[in-house]
Amino acid sequence: MKSGSNLERVILSGNPAVTAELGPPMSADGSEIRHKAKLLKGFCDAANITDCQTAVVRISSIAGAVIALQEGLEPVMQMTCRDRNRIAIQADLLGAHALGLRNCLCIAGDHQKFSAAGKLKGHPGAKNVYDVDTCQLVGILKKMRDEGLQQGGDKLEVPPRFFIGASWTPGGEPLDFRPVNLKKKIDAGADFIQTQGIYDIDIFRSQMEKIRAMGLHERAAILGGIIVPRTAMMLKYMDSSVAGVSVPKSLIERMAKAKERAGDDKKKAKEYQEEEGIKIAVELIHQVLETPGVKGVHIQAIEWESAIEKIVKSAGLYPRPVFE
Amino acid sequence: MIVGSQKPFDEIWEMIQSFKKILVLGCNTCVAVCHAGGSKEAEILSEMIKVKAKQMSHSIDVNSMSVMRQCENEYLDEFMDNIKSTDLVLSMACGVGVNFLSDKINAVPVYPALNTSFYGGVPKEGLFIELCAGCGNCILHLTGGICPIARCSKSLMNGPCGGTDKGKCEVSKDIDCAWFLIVERMKLLGALEKLYDVQPPRDWSTSFHGGPRKISLEHIKAYEEQQGGQIR
Amino acid sequence: MVIQEQTYRPYGYEIKEKRPFSPCRSACPVNTDVQAYIALISTGRYNEAFEVIRSVNPIASACSYICHHPCEQACRRCSIDEPLAIRHLKRFALEKASGYRRSKRRILKNTQGKNIAIIGSGPSGLTVANDLADLGYGVTIYEKHLALGGMLASAIPPYRLPREALQEDIDDILSKGVKAILNCQVGKDISLNEIIQKNDAVVIAVGLSQSRSLNIPNIDSDGVLLAIPFLTSVVFNRGVKIGKNVLVIGGGNVAIDVARTARRLGSNVEMVCLESAEEMPAWKWEIEEAMEEGIKIRNRWGPNAVIKEDEKVKELEVIKVLSVFDKQGKFNPSFDKNVKDIIQADTIIITIGQMSDNSFAKDSPLKIEGGRFSWDPNTQMTNHPSVFITGEVVTGPGSAIAAVASGHKTAHAVHLFLQGQLKPGLLPNFEKEKIEQIPEEIKGKIKPQSRLKILHLEPAIRCQTFDHFERGYDEESALKEAGRCRGCGGGAIVDSSRCMACLTCKRVCPYGAPIVKAYSEIRPEFCQACGLCVSECPAQAISMVSYDVREIRDNMPVTIGILNPDRKIPVIAGFFCTHHVGVKGFQVPDNIRVIPLSCVSRLDVLDILKAFQCGADKVAILKCPEDSCKYESVNTRFSLRLSRAKKLLQMLSIQPEKIVVLSELEVGELGDNHFFK
Repeated sequence: MKSGSNLERVILSGNPAVTAELGPPMSADGSEIRHKAKLLKGFCDAANITDCQTAVVRISSIAGAVIALQEGLEPVMQMTCRDRNRIAIQADLLGAHALGLRNCLCIAGDHQKFSAAGKLKGHPGAKNVYDVDTCQLVGILKKMRDEGLQQGGDKLEVPPRFFIGASWTPGGEPLDFRPVNLKKKIDAGADFIQTQGIYDIDIFRSQMEKIRAMGLHERAAILGGIIVPRTAMMLKYMDSSVAGVSVPKSLIERMAKAKERAGDDKKKAKEYQEEEGIKIAVELIHQVLETPGVKGVHIQAIEWESAIEKIVKSAGLYPRPVFE
Repeated sequence: MIVGSQKPFDEIWEMIQSFKKILVLGCNTCVAVCHAGGSKEAEILSEMIKVKAKQMSHSIDVNSMSVMRQCENEYLDEFMDNIKSTDLVLSMACGVGVNFLSDKINAVPVYPALNTSFYGGVPKEGLFIELCAGCGNCILHLTGGICPIARCSKSLMNGPCGGTDKGKCEVSKDIDCAWFLIVERMKLLGALEKLYDVQPPRDWSTSFHGGPRKISLEHIKAYEEQQGGQIR
Repeated sequence: MVIQEQTYRPYGYEIKEKRPFSPCRSACPVNTDVQAYIALISTGRYNEAFEVIRSVNPIASACSYICHHPCEQACRRCSIDEPLAIRHLKRFALEKASGYRRSKRRILKNTQGKNIAIIGSGPSGLTVANDLADLGYGVTIYEKHLALGGMLASAIPPYRLPREALQEDIDDILSKGVKAILNCQVGKDISLNEIIQKNDAVVIAVGLSQSRSLNIPNIDSDGVLLAIPFLTSVVFNRGVKIGKNVLVIGGGNVAIDVARTARRLGSNVEMVCLESAEEMPAWKWEIEEAMEEGIKIRNRWGPNAVIKEDEKVKELEVIKVLSVFDKQGKFNPSFDKNVKDIIQADTIIITIGQMSDNSFAKDSPLKIEGGRFSWDPNTQMTNHPSVFITGEVVTGPGSAIAAVASGHKTAHAVHLFLQGQLKPGLLPNFEKEKIEQIPEEIKGKIKPQSRLKILHLEPAIRCQTFDHFERGYDEESALKEAGRCRGCGGGAIVDSSRCMACLTCKRVCPYGAPIVKAYSEIRPEFCQACGLCVSECPAQAISMVSYDVREIRDNMPVTIGILNPDRKIPVIAGFFCTHHVGVKGFQVPDNIRVIPLSCVSRLDVLDILKAFQCGADKVAILKCPEDSCKYESVNTRFSLRLSRAKKLLQMLSIQPEKIVVLSELEVGELGDNHFFK
């Protein structure tokens, strides 16, 4: 085993893996992480602790991951290329490992421009780093773990042993380059892949066909991304505004009908849509898991961690395997 | 060429208003091309200052002139008497010119009238776009002539991030995704496979991250070392 | 012509000298800078226009009536619509500037201490007198008639050249201190030898004063007249008698003068000439005007014999012309003697050309070979070192302005001779390279604008009088006509030491004139002198050959003037496109400081800023409506500049509403418009 993490064990066992996501708060108080960890614990194999997603300042991924660990939830720490140069990245990785973290997802990170959105002012004037990109970051982790060397070549007395993750946007443009993109991340050393949210199963399946032809599904565990829809509006927004995500009309209509059914009752509208959203998520989980080459799902219930239990149970993925 | 744009007039006025004798000095090369700091703009700015001074009942003696390039001694030399006999030089050169001139005259303040922005191309009249970051280690042969350092918002070197949408960057719909362009260009060139290899972390010491840079022509440097002095 | 320090030089003179001339200027025998004076007329600067004209042409007024205007034939507008009415504009400018012109007359001292005699006072003689007086020589003219001017005074009928106009030219020259001895026939009243003896140099400028006659039977009959004596008698009112039916033999310009003069004496006039209508040497417009006046022309007939009755002319027998020119193109008529006709006439006037009368030089040292004075065209000198010769007596028949050119050369030669510096190759050369025709690819971008008609008296009325038959332009017409000029040769020029080849001019120019390599070069044959590129050039590397692009700004403090801080009425800088201002004759309310612009294409953002800087409260811009602007792209560039100017003003807390743009239709409201109050 590369890392000995629970996630790695689940994948090695051949069971479909389930990961979830936990967003740390914009607060110096870690209790919210503890609360969310409790909601997720037992319903997933590991949960991503996001690294200042949308470039908004929050409790750092490493600190959040340690809190989750204390609560008995295995974390997947995230490391973006946006905020640290290779020195800070490697130092943080060593520290994270020392604190008991074993999974790390390498991502580019949302541009700082996105931090100013809605009511948030964010830090659009921040300097970004991008000393290394995602592929290179993956390579750094692998080099540290497998060769015991820093990127610069200096030796590490005790190498950090991370289960290395990377993201993939199967529906992103240019479509025909996306498999190459994935291959480069796997070549660089990614052990598991969490994909961008999948709604259009046809696009995902056709991309997976190419992945299988390239044998990539055997070199890394691909976990299909499921973003749980909560409202019809959200689906429409995801379709029109989230890069690499397209939502079939039929799904948007289903959510819209659920809303209509409630008439003017706003409370009911929310309830019906959430019910329908969970149903859709479960269907998508099935479709994704039925796709050859897929080793699990990455379920994101954004600011709705309480839904995970119901989804995982409805999808027949409960209970989660336990290892001694 | 170097692209810049004029600072807001109020900002300029704030910085210069306490001076009595001001020379607005245009630079007639790069920043003239981008209509920010050439002879013409220097004269316009000088007129603006005159109007403002009149409005504020300040007596300021403002003149404008321009040199071909403020970043070379020979172009500046013939005007140095003029330049030195003023209280303030308001330079309309890029930051290079402002630095160069400041170093050259020392005793007279040289203030910037421009914000220097980037190395750009001119796809059409009135449009200037950033195409190179001057990172000192060119890989354009690998990326279809499109620089991911300068033109990708994240300077990614191994392909697009997940934020690409309809060929545009996640930062703005007005920004082309450099990697989208690179992939398309490489397909056209029949060289897509050049993108398959993982580019290792790069050496940024050739860029600004190695500290201020200097390039000397090897043969001249060698000669000077041998002779123990500057060539003339 | 001798360049002197005080000689007026229009803006850009030195640059123009080094570049190909505009075709109008190149075509002019004295290289009058037509473009320069037309441009000055178009901005209402008539006095300067006069200076440009007069600087090379001492008989400017005469030329403004009688010049055959080769400038117009060469005008590049010919390939678009019609040439500019250059001669007529010249007349307008000279009339407008007449007060100024008179005020400038000054007596010049004989600073050289040398005296020159000129024999003959035609265009060449007058020019020599003018130039040498300017150079500080004492000049005396000997004229056989009672008036100076040569043929201009003694032969050209007044309906073509009002004598008051000629007098303006002569007064200019006489005012310099030139002495004129009138009614003095050299060779009879004074000998040439005596003149040579008394003077440091002598210039023969006797022209071609004798009419040629014909060698056909009965040519000595009563009623057969020669052209020049006939015209002179009429001009000086010597009571010449002609019959009811006059036949003029000849097809040249003098023949037309004779015919039209005879017509004005009340006769029926017919012309007979060897040439076909197309071959006739007279100018087309002269022929047309003659025909309008009822003069008949018989082409391709040659005179064969005069038939007389009681010693008086009765008829002319003519024979058919087969050809006028031989295969080499030389004048060598051939006839079919079998085809004859008879033309009835009681007066026949022979107008087949002139020759010089050399009798005055009898017993002088001057050599005459084959009826011509021996001379050296490199030095204008005769065989006698101090005697020079000029004009048609040596060049042969030509135009008045060509004689002026000859006069300039000769004056220069005399001056060099008297300074001991005369050598071949030093005389002025008026043959100059010219700008090519308007390139095909841009013709479509030049809006046709028809030439403003020159009004003539009705033929029926003008036939009864020797009054001048052509009406001058009024100011409105003149400014409009001047506005048609494309400014050839006066356009944009790049200072290569400032140009960094940024391509702005190339992008801005609607006519594709700039070629940008190491630096921009603006091709004069393409350039329409709109001036758009000048204010766009970020390096200020472009200027205009024909006008000072900074003049408006430099003059702004004076234009705006000293202002009363308590003024109630706003002071407005009015940048007015002269294509319209002309219409109103610059008459605007007092609080508007008019700054005439030949098109807003020349209005710079800096000009607007400068107006405010000099204290103007507002700026009014008068421009042509979008579709009638003379130039391409002006509206786009103008609106870009306007919005830039407004942005700059906003930064200075000056409201953009302080600038108003008016088009032609609104001009009339100037006084009423609240903006101006």
